[in-house]
Amino acid sequence: MIDADHILTARGLDKSFGRGPGRVDVLRGLDVTVRRGEFLAVMGPSGCGKSTLLHVLGLITPADGGELAVDGQAVGMGAAQRHALRRDVFGFVFQRFNLLGVLTAADNVAISLRARGLRADGRVDELFEAMGVADVARRKPSQMSMGQQQRVAVVRALAHRPKIVLADEPTGNLDSANSNALLDLFRRINRDHQQTIVMITHSAEAAAAADRVVHMKDGRILETSR
Amino acid sequence: MMYLPLANILHHKLRSFLAAMGIGIGICMLITLTGLARGSLNEVADRWESVNADLIVLPSGWGEQVSTKSGSGLSDGFAGVIARKFADQVESIVPVFLWRISLAGQDQMTAGIDAADWATLTGDRPLTAGRMCDPDGRASQWLAGKILSAPAEGEQILDLSAADLGHPDHNCLELVIDERLAKAGGYRVGQIVRAANHDWRIVGIAPEGVITRVFMPRRTAQFLFASGDVSRSTLMFVKLKPGAGDLGVIARRMRDQTKLDVLAVAEYRGMLTRSFGIMFVYVNMVNVVALIIAFLFIMVILYTMVLQRTRDIAILKANGASNGFLIRQVVAESILLTAMGVGLGIALSFLSAWIIQAYRPLLTVVIEPERIGWAVAAAGVGALASSLYPAWRATRVDMAAALSLE
Repeated sequence: MIDADHILTARGLDKSFGRGPGRVDVLRGLDVTVRRGEFLAVMGPSGCGKSTLLHVLGLITPADGGELAVDGQAVGMGAAQRHALRRDVFGFVFQRFNLLGVLTAADNVAISLRARGLRADGRVDELFEAMGVADVARRKPSQMSMGQQQRVAVVRALAHRPKIVLADEPTGNLDSANSNALLDLFRRINRDHQQTIVMITHSAEAAAAADRVVHMKDGRILETSR
Repeated sequence: MMYLPLANILHHKLRSFLAAMGIGIGICMLITLTGLARGSLNEVADRWESVNADLIVLPSGWGEQVSTKSGSGLSDGFAGVIARKFADQVESIVPVFLWRISLAGQDQMTAGIDAADWATLTGDRPLTAGRMCDPDGRASQWLAGKILSAPAEGEQILDLSAADLGHPDHNCLELVIDERLAKAGGYRVGQIVRAANHDWRIVGIAPEGVITRVFMPRRTAQFLFASGDVSRSTLMFVKLKPGAGDLGVIARRMRDQTKLDVLAVAEYRGMLTRSFGIMFVYVNMVNVVALIIAFLFIMVILYTMVLQRTRDIAILKANGASNGFLIRQVVAESILLTAMGVGLGIALSFLSAWIIQAYRPLLTVVIEPERIGWAVAAAGVGALASSLYPAWRATRVDMAAALSLE
């Protein structure tokens, strides 16, 4: 199952929530692979399991069944391995940015580095510049626009040079101008740094920025386009 | 970078202040109550140790309770016995009649003494105002004469009225009080005060630190408070001659030969502390309860904080935070809150001490660095203990559930 070309490989992923009659099967034997340096979009209707897939792939929550390999390692249930992979391989961008409200933009990035045992360096400043948010680095999230917050969230996701960026509806709360700017940014980092990006989206426009789009329904991949 | 625990504290200013205040009150109680108990006892012990004598002689069995004893207990005749048997060692013997009278709203230990013994009792400290009570012994002679010459068959020997006692010719009802009591009661020389059913004239002010706050003529004290028995006092101080020998050996010999309790003046502090040991048990219990409540309060606040910040915790975990990192954040926040509380508590302690002594000048609150050290140590342990469960809960936050709440 481990394949050098694929940075993410999932086979037969199952995930359900609840028990008994209230049990909901969210992922049902899902298979998906992501190549190194690929920009993959995952589309599908609400409730089809897109976010759950992202959480399972990003080791935020374990699958109930199936196999998963990340960056050449078969992922088991061991907390230490899952934590190490999550810390070193992934960067997350969430729909609602999920910045810590008590910290400034710069401190939000710095603490995610510190949590990984890293220190902010000149690259972080470059990222703030590149994202066009250097001027709000000392502001708290409540003092920034949504577009600025999302760009800061991207800086945070990229600051530790992750191999894979997982983005959950990153344009969901942005206007079209900010959405386009963010997608341009994703394309740029994917192209320039060969950074793998897996993006969940409802938007066909956003998905159009990706190299490949997979469509989900009822916890399975239905089809792959492009 | 702003430290996350500090940022959290600054972001929730009121809650942080209330949490710190909860700890501060606990710390303040610990420092102030202990300071009050120890300060008051030490102040009494210091005053007794200021007496220019070496031994205290008491009725047999009174030794351990010396700090609580008053009234007539010891025949004055023992002074002669001791002087005779220990003529080579003893320089002077000072009988004192102790009693409590109420002045300035609280009971005051009062020493009935002979004016001639003032130097021995106080190290010859001069009065700061006025004169000694019954300085020439006229009142004492008058009282002794009246009583000792009176006992004809059927005669009422104790027919002296208050008016007689206070007559200017003999001035039996005179008091000397110390500066602190004068300040607390607003008393001055020449003022008449009512105590023990008599009107007393304040004739002198003694410096602070003398053995008791109130002095009166010994014969007056014996007459009024020992039912007219002017032959007994409460205890005697014995001053030894220079080079008299080992204090312990002399005390033991004196005990053996008189069958009285004899203890060194230096032992008084220990006796006093032992007598009031139960008070420290109560004080310590109150302190422990106050600290436990304060830290339960912190634990509830931290626990609530963890429950409210599950999303933030999940974000940190998603961004690579280990369990150790999360635990450090919660513990650090607890320590910061506690440090604020300790600072507030110490400041409140000094304020409380100032208020107590401003409104109750006779109470002594001593804030000792050692007590502050104990308070800081207790707070440190409490901060750690109260943060462990909330910290553990932080590590158990379900990332997927918390992030799905968006």
